[in-house]
Amino acid sequence: MSKPAPFFKTLLACPEAVLFFVLVAELVFFSAVGRNFNTADNFANIVRHSAEIGLLALVMMPIILTGGIDLSVGSLLGLCAVLFGVFTHEWHIATPLAAALTLVVGAAAGGLNGGLITGLRLPPLIVTLGTFSLFRGLAEAITKGTMTYKDFSPEFLALGRARALGLPYQGWLFITVGIAIGVLVHRTTLGRSFRAIGFSPEGARYAGLPVQRRIALTYVLAGFVAALAALVFTARLRQARADAGSGYELQAITAVVLGGTSIFGGIGTVGGTVLGVACVAVLTTGLKLIPAIALQGIGSELGSLLTGALLIFALASGVLAKSLAARRARRQALSEPQPQPIP
Amino acid sequence: MKRVPFLTLLLALPVLAFLGGCKDAPSSGGSNNSVGGKKMTIALLPKSKGNQYFATVEKGARAAAAELGADLLYDGPTNTDPAKQNEIVEGWVNYGVTVIAAACENKEGISAALKAAQDKGIKVVTFDSDTTGDARSFFVNQATAEGIGNTLMDEAARLTGAEGEFAIITATLTASNMNEWRKHIEARLKEKYPKMKLVDTKPCDDQKDKAQQEATNLLSAYPNLKCLMAICSPAVPGAAEAVKQAGKAGAVKVLGLGLPSENKAYVKDGVTQSVILWKVEDLGYLTIKAAAAVAAGTLKAGATEFDAGKIGKMEIQGDNILLGKPFIFNKENIDGFDF
Repeated sequence: MSKPAPFFKTLLACPEAVLFFVLVAELVFFSAVGRNFNTADNFANIVRHSAEIGLLALVMMPIILTGGIDLSVGSLLGLCAVLFGVFTHEWHIATPLAAALTLVVGAAAGGLNGGLITGLRLPPLIVTLGTFSLFRGLAEAITKGTMTYKDFSPEFLALGRARALGLPYQGWLFITVGIAIGVLVHRTTLGRSFRAIGFSPEGARYAGLPVQRRIALTYVLAGFVAALAALVFTARLRQARADAGSGYELQAITAVVLGGTSIFGGIGTVGGTVLGVACVAVLTTGLKLIPAIALQGIGSELGSLLTGALLIFALASGVLAKSLAARRARRQALSEPQPQPIP
Repeated sequence: MKRVPFLTLLLALPVLAFLGGCKDAPSSGGSNNSVGGKKMTIALLPKSKGNQYFATVEKGARAAAAELGADLLYDGPTNTDPAKQNEIVEGWVNYGVTVIAAACENKEGISAALKAAQDKGIKVVTFDSDTTGDARSFFVNQATAEGIGNTLMDEAARLTGAEGEFAIITATLTASNMNEWRKHIEARLKEKYPKMKLVDTKPCDDQKDKAQQEATNLLSAYPNLKCLMAICSPAVPGAAEAVKQAGKAGAVKVLGLGLPSENKAYVKDGVTQSVILWKVEDLGYLTIKAAAAVAAGTLKAGATEFDAGKIGKMEIQGDNILLGKPFIFNKENIDGFDF
C-alpha cells in the first residue's frame, strides 16, 4: 500500500486546496469577463470592503476550532464604533488613547462572553445570542438610534482610505493579524490546545489542559479584534453609527466554515479561513463588474446566492472525497491477494 | 495526507493578487468618458432598493435612460445602509461609469466616496437627499421648504373656503425640516388668509397611533375645527382615522404630506381630501436627464434653467435643480399612482 494516493483525491480531501483552486478560477474568470477587474484599484477595493469581515473571521476561527461560536462580534463592532465616537467627541480624549480604550472595552466585552460561557457553563450559542442583542441595544441606546459621530481626525481617517506599497492600510492590518493568529493556532502550544479542546474537551481536560481558561481566551481575543475592526470600519465610513457591522458575524462564520474549519471544532487551519475570506470577497466584487450583471442591478443578490452555493459545494466536496476514499479502500482490501498458507 | 502549510497559502494570496494588480487600469478616462462616440453609463443609487418610493424613481429613470440611449446601472442596499452605499459607489468608480446620481442615506455617509469618484473624472449629481456641497455638481431638489409650505396652506384654504380654525400635526417640535415648512405655512397664512386661524400644533413623534390620539384630542378641544393638516407622513392616515372614528368625515377636512399608497383608502372614503407630494417618477426622470447633461457638459454651474424634455423646463437655484411645485393627489387622480 505504499502507492501514493491519486492527486485529485488528496486535493479533494484538503479543503484549503479546493478553495485555492476556486480562488484561482475566480481570478481568471473575472479577469476575462469583468470590466476593470484586473486593476490595482479594484484589488484595493476588494481589500477595503472585506477587511472588517476578514478580521472577524480570523478570530472567529479559533473559537469555532474549540467547538464554540460567537454571534456577538458584529454587534460588538457597532458598540465599539459608537464608544470610540463617544470617547473622541464627548469625552474629548485624544484619538490614539481613545482607540486604545476602545480596544480595551472590546476585550472586556469578549471577556464577558468568555466568562459567561466558561464560568456558568452556558452554551456559547445562547450566551452570544444574548450579547448579540445586548451590545447592539447598548449602541442604539447610547446614540438613541439617531446620533452619528463624524469629523474624525485626518490621521485616523487615513486608516480607511490610504495605501502603503499599493496595499490599503487595513490590508496590512489583516495580514498582521492573520500571521499572528496563524502562529498562535499552529505554532504555539497554547494555540494548539484550541484544536485539542475542540477535538475532545474531555480528553483535553484529562491531559491537564486548563480548558475553560483557554476557551475564555478565544472570546477575549475576538472582542479585542472586533474593536480593531470597529476602528477600521469607522475610518472607512468616516462616521460611527449604532448599525455598524450588522450581519457581519454570519459573514465571518461563513468564511471560516468555507475555509474548512469544522463547525463541531477540532479541524481547521487559519490559512483556510484566509482563503475563505478571499473567495467570498473576490466573488462578490467580481460579479458587480460583469456588465451584463451590473446592468440588471443584481450583483449583490447574485453574490449572496453564489456564496451560499459555494459553501454547500465546499462542504459537500469534503464529504464526497471521504466517502470515495472509504469505498476505494474497501475495494482494494477485497481485491488484494490473500496470503497463501505455506503448504 | 500532507497538508499545504498555511503560511505558504497566506503568503501566496497577496502575491497572486498583486500579480493580478500589475496590469494597471486604463486610467478610467479613455474607455468611456464618451459623450459623442460611445454609450454613456449612468449609475443611479437609491437609499434602499426595497422601498416602493425608489422603485418609482427607477421607473422614471429607466424612461429617461431609454430616451437618451444610455446604459443605466441601478443598485443600492436592500435596507438603508451607508456602508453598502459606499461599497456600491466605489465599485462603480472602478467599473468606470460616466456619471453617478445618488440619494444619500446621510449627508457625510458617502461624501468621501463621491469625492473620490470626482477625482477620477466621474461626474456626480445627487437627488432626493443631498450630500455635502463639494461632493457633487448639482442636487436635484424634489421640493423646497417654501414650495411645500405654500402648497399645504393654499390647499387648506381651498378646502375650507379660506376661513375657520385649523390645527397642525407634526413629527416633533424640533425636526428642522418641518419647522422650516411650518415657518412658510405661517407666513403664507398671515399674508393671504386673514380669516383662517391656526389654533394648535401638536407633535406625534412620527407615529401613526400617537397622531390619531392627538387628532382625537384636537377634535374635542376645538369643536369648530375645520381642517387638520398633517405634515409628517404617518400623521396623515393617523389624523384621518381619528376624524373617521369621530364621525366627522367631510366636516373636518384632512390633508397632509405623505405617500399616496398609505392614504388611498381614506382618500376614496372621502375622509382625507388631499395628499401632497412630488411626482416621484418625474424625480427619477429629471435626475437622469440632469446627470446626462452634466456629463455631456451641457449643464454647467451657473445655469438658471434646465430643459428636462417631456416634463418641461426646470428652474435652477444656485446648485439646486428644482422639480417644481409639489403635486396634489386627490380622489380623482390617486388611482394612477402606486408608491
